[in-house]
Amino acid sequence: MADLTKLAPGAAVLLQGNEAIARGALEAGISLAAAYPGNPSSEILESLADSADSAGIHVEWSANEKVALESAAAASFTGLRAMASMKQNGVNVAQDFICNLNISGVRGGLVLVTCDDPSGISSTNEQDARFISRLASLPLLEPATPEECLAMMRFAFELSEAIGNLVVLRSVSRLSHTRAGVVPGELPAGRALPYWDPKTRWFTVPVVPRHQVMLDKLARARSIMAASGFNRYQGPDRPDLLVIASASSALYAAEARRMLDVEGRVGILKLGCTWPLDEDMILSRLEKASHVLFAEEIDPFLETEIKALYAQNAPRLGVMNFFGKGSGHLPLIGEMTPGKLAGAMAGILGLSWLPVAKDYRLQATQLAQGMAAPRDLAFCPGCPHRASYWTIKQTLAVDGRQGIVSGDIGCYTLGLHPTGFERVNSVHCMGSGLGVASGLGQLKKLGFKQPVVCVVGDSTFFHAALPGLINARWNRSDYVLVVLDNSATAMTGFQPHPGTGVTATGQPGVAVDVESFCRAIGLPAQVVDPYDLGAAQEALYDALQQPDGLRVLIFRRVCALVQGRRGGHPWRMSVDEKLCRGEDCGCHRYCTRVFRCPGLVFDEARGRAAIDEVVCVGCGVCAQICPAGAIKAQAKEDAA
Amino acid sequence: MSDLVHDPLNILITGVGGQGNVLASQVLGRALLAAGYVVTVGETYGLSQRGGAVMSMVRVSRDRTMGPLIPENQATAIVSLEPLEALRVLPQYGQPEVVVITNDRPLLPINVISGQSSYPDLADLKAALGQVAGRLLWVPATQAALALGSPILANVVMLGALAASGILPIGLKEIEAGLAQMFPPAKMAPNREALSRGWKMVRS
Amino acid sequence: MTQASAASTPPAACLDRLRQEVLDPGLCVACGACLGLCPHLLLYDGQVAAPDPCGLADGRCIDLCPQNPGPDPRQRRAGLQAARGLGDEAPLGPVRRAWWGRAQAADLGGRAQYGGVVSALTALALEQGLIEEAVLTQAGQRGTPEGVRVRDREGVLACAGSIYAAGGSLQALNQALAEPAEHPLGVVALPCQSLAAAAMGAHPRYPAGRRLKLVIGLFCTMNLSARGLRQVLGQAGVEGAVTRSDFPPPPAGVLVVTTRRGVSEIPLEKVRPITLKGCAFCPDLTAELADISVGAAEGSPGWNTIIARSRTGQDLMELALAKGLVEAKAVPEESWAHLTAAAAGKRARAGSAREEINHG
Repeated sequence: MADLTKLAPGAAVLLQGNEAIARGALEAGISLAAAYPGNPSSEILESLADSADSAGIHVEWSANEKVALESAAAASFTGLRAMASMKQNGVNVAQDFICNLNISGVRGGLVLVTCDDPSGISSTNEQDARFISRLASLPLLEPATPEECLAMMRFAFELSEAIGNLVVLRSVSRLSHTRAGVVPGELPAGRALPYWDPKTRWFTVPVVPRHQVMLDKLARARSIMAASGFNRYQGPDRPDLLVIASASSALYAAEARRMLDVEGRVGILKLGCTWPLDEDMILSRLEKASHVLFAEEIDPFLETEIKALYAQNAPRLGVMNFFGKGSGHLPLIGEMTPGKLAGAMAGILGLSWLPVAKDYRLQATQLAQGMAAPRDLAFCPGCPHRASYWTIKQTLAVDGRQGIVSGDIGCYTLGLHPTGFERVNSVHCMGSGLGVASGLGQLKKLGFKQPVVCVVGDSTFFHAALPGLINARWNRSDYVLVVLDNSATAMTGFQPHPGTGVTATGQPGVAVDVESFCRAIGLPAQVVDPYDLGAAQEALYDALQQPDGLRVLIFRRVCALVQGRRGGHPWRMSVDEKLCRGEDCGCHRYCTRVFRCPGLVFDEARGRAAIDEVVCVGCGVCAQICPAGAIKAQAKEDAA
Repeated sequence: MSDLVHDPLNILITGVGGQGNVLASQVLGRALLAAGYVVTVGETYGLSQRGGAVMSMVRVSRDRTMGPLIPENQATAIVSLEPLEALRVLPQYGQPEVVVITNDRPLLPINVISGQSSYPDLADLKAALGQVAGRLLWVPATQAALALGSPILANVVMLGALAASGILPIGLKEIEAGLAQMFPPAKMAPNREALSRGWKMVRS
Repeated sequence: MTQASAASTPPAACLDRLRQEVLDPGLCVACGACLGLCPHLLLYDGQVAAPDPCGLADGRCIDLCPQNPGPDPRQRRAGLQAARGLGDEAPLGPVRRAWWGRAQAADLGGRAQYGGVVSALTALALEQGLIEEAVLTQAGQRGTPEGVRVRDREGVLACAGSIYAAGGSLQALNQALAEPAEHPLGVVALPCQSLAAAAMGAHPRYPAGRRLKLVIGLFCTMNLSARGLRQVLGQAGVEGAVTRSDFPPPPAGVLVVTTRRGVSEIPLEKVRPITLKGCAFCPDLTAELADISVGAAEGSPGWNTIIARSRTGQDLMELALAKGLVEAKAVPEESWAHLTAAAAGKRARAGSAREEINHG
């Protein structure tokens, strides 16, 4: 990321959607931005953090999304503009606050940015977070390009201040991580001082009249948004097919229309302001069409609401045909593509269309299926999580009571996969691993005989795990908590968190360490180095054998990628071919077949394991699992 | 602004996490933007550090804003930093005229390391790519990069090869200027050399 | 999302059979025959586990396991006896000669089990060069027995005494045999382990097994779960590492446990529940596949019953007698009759237990 205040106004520059969102916020004069990291949203706050000094604003990684939005709301109450950004799951975390803030209202412009992840490219779900606008009666903006990201952010703050309520801007992975030419505008010259008049109060009661106030704000938003110019129609006046689309889907629709060569028959109503609906504009288009296709990601949000709008006006509009996710012309799951839309349009218009000759596709598919081995995700070479899951696998096996592992969110979620030996039994949302473990730990008296291990990362620990842990402690739940402390929010790009003692802008904060927290609630936490397989297995075994109650182990070892930046690992690894047992009984490729570090390869021709020196980082863990002592670790300085 | 061989020009850059795919697409995007084209660069990452496949889509038009996804089977060119990844994307993005430019150095998937799957013989892989590519450029990019001191330079070697393929409306100079936006002057020498080696491997 | 975890490698016949036939039904007696051969089989705190598939169809683990009897357990034992030129006589196995004996050396006094003959013979075999290294058993980590490799008399003495808990001492033997060395080895083995040792010596894909030159067998009626024993001792208030444990012959009805703090007696009814399930399938009281077997002398505390089975075993015992390391006398007829009856009883009980599992 880079300092976005340095961009020259008026000169086109290649910006990522997330950077454009950040630049738009800076141009709107924000004073505070807060977020919790999560793909695909992380770069918004990262680039704001890099711009914080020059812009003279406060930018922070918060402990979770709810705290982030609450912090931003506080700034708004004092008259400052502020924002919080998060991935779709974060909206759920912040939801309780949102559903009260919407009634209380805001003063300085306040914008919530949600970056959804259609197809779950880097998420545990593909939830459509637009629901929050409908649920909380908040204005919703959906940009289609980085350029619109910037423009809509500027507009969002104006709108928020004009109506006195939170505004939601929704991006998706493809937009957040798309770069395109953007022309930056001017940055504001100065900003007001924060002040909260002690006579003013921000609250939600009495509920019913204030609910009405909230709806009045939404109605005001409708007319402001209608004048924004973000809703546009392009196409023939009376199209054979009207496509109503938002965000990237509008671009895909335009592309599909060209591919099918039906620009004279298909019109596209691109909606940038998607809640509340610009009813007048939409009705005026519905009047001139009888066939309508909805194109959006992921849920049929516009589709459902516009069908409802139609129902209200059906006597005037007459019979209409609606196509989309409801009709089965488009799938309810996964991200939109130009091809999906072209297929739907062709079907509705009665055209035959294939993206490429059938036999080409067949041939390419057959060749790829025959040759292209899948490329499964794997922990990085040297990743402490591989060692930790190795310990968990081995220890639960010798414990022999069919232990269950409750997992959580982070790189270590890959424990579900072969790279973590499929040793995780459940994963849901941030912190839920501890809640599930807390419940499992109560079942012994009902006859549950299996021991329970819960794994949680250090960043997740501070985000949402604490109530689950406190609950388990209070209610005497019986399980072993293993904190996989790699001293980074590694999954999302190494952002700092409360345990690191560094803030988003690189300033020293106060480190909140896991063991002190555990000690404060009466839990002694044993710190173990997961690279030391023997010690880690011993510690976990001991913890599992202890009779009742919660035990805490901290498997602490810095993320291998972070270690790489800090000068790397100490060992140069090699394989003694004379000792390596290869494929014989007594080994059978244990290191490459079972342990599976990408730094190890099997030389088929020689029938021996080998180190891939380009990939191996030299953590030394594999030397401990080789049954023949054939994998050797030599100190790098000695080897050099 | 020169004409494009196809408008939009759809260049798919594929590879494995950690190969510098995103950087290559950014360099290309900056160079094309500077030359006056409308550019959209879509990036797919998130779990990229964890050994998975990574894709970038560079879309170029003289006048139209394109979406971030190349439509099914409409890649003009596929630049692959790893040979198997080129084959993997062809069913979805290839077409009979597609120009495939691939690094010849395999990076073994973890499934191959573990013995569950096997990596094809390189000659067979090359032949398969030849069957479904309109034109195939088989580039020893990692080898060239290693000769320059670091395998990570392979992505820049591949940009040189792409420039030499005749698909781009811009030349080496423009790409070099794009690189200069990303690297401090001190680091430009090996990048410049990598670019030029990539070019020569295709043109000579 | 509910998703059964998919095995990443196709199931291997050898390790899979071991799992299906021995580990999963709880028949493993933790003898250690499969351990130390490969990294797929683990022993920790008395429990054997195999967390990953090994991917081989013809590995050795299943062949060495004494709890994998194959279609005809008797035939397997007879085959292993025949491989060393001996017969499978009922019910005591091959008997070349038998004695009552006890060690003479003072340093074998208190700690050794019964008459100290095992320690005396092991030490003698090392001193004579019949073997250069012996694998014995010692209380290891967590108090569970572990194999230990010794090369001299001092090492033997450190291991004197026995612990009635499963602990996989053959793991150490496999590890010793995996090393690039040529020297002959010996092992002190329970009946199950004597069978495994004979299987190692005869296995076509275990050439290092030929280095095993001496098996000193121990009589055994049953073995205890290491974890179970620790629990029972804990409940009985016995603390500290167990240095020796002993089932005195009837009518004692107790397990006598010695720790540094003293001697405790545990009633047999507390011990029975922690008996290894797999021991019920063992037909062998007297380590029939050893070179020489040693056990308690009924009604004669401080003495051992000794049965030489092979030429090697007999020569070793006779040398010990000649050197005055062991004194011996004839086994009283009545005692021999009791031993024979007990051995026949164990064979019969094992047979019906096997019947039950096969047909029940």
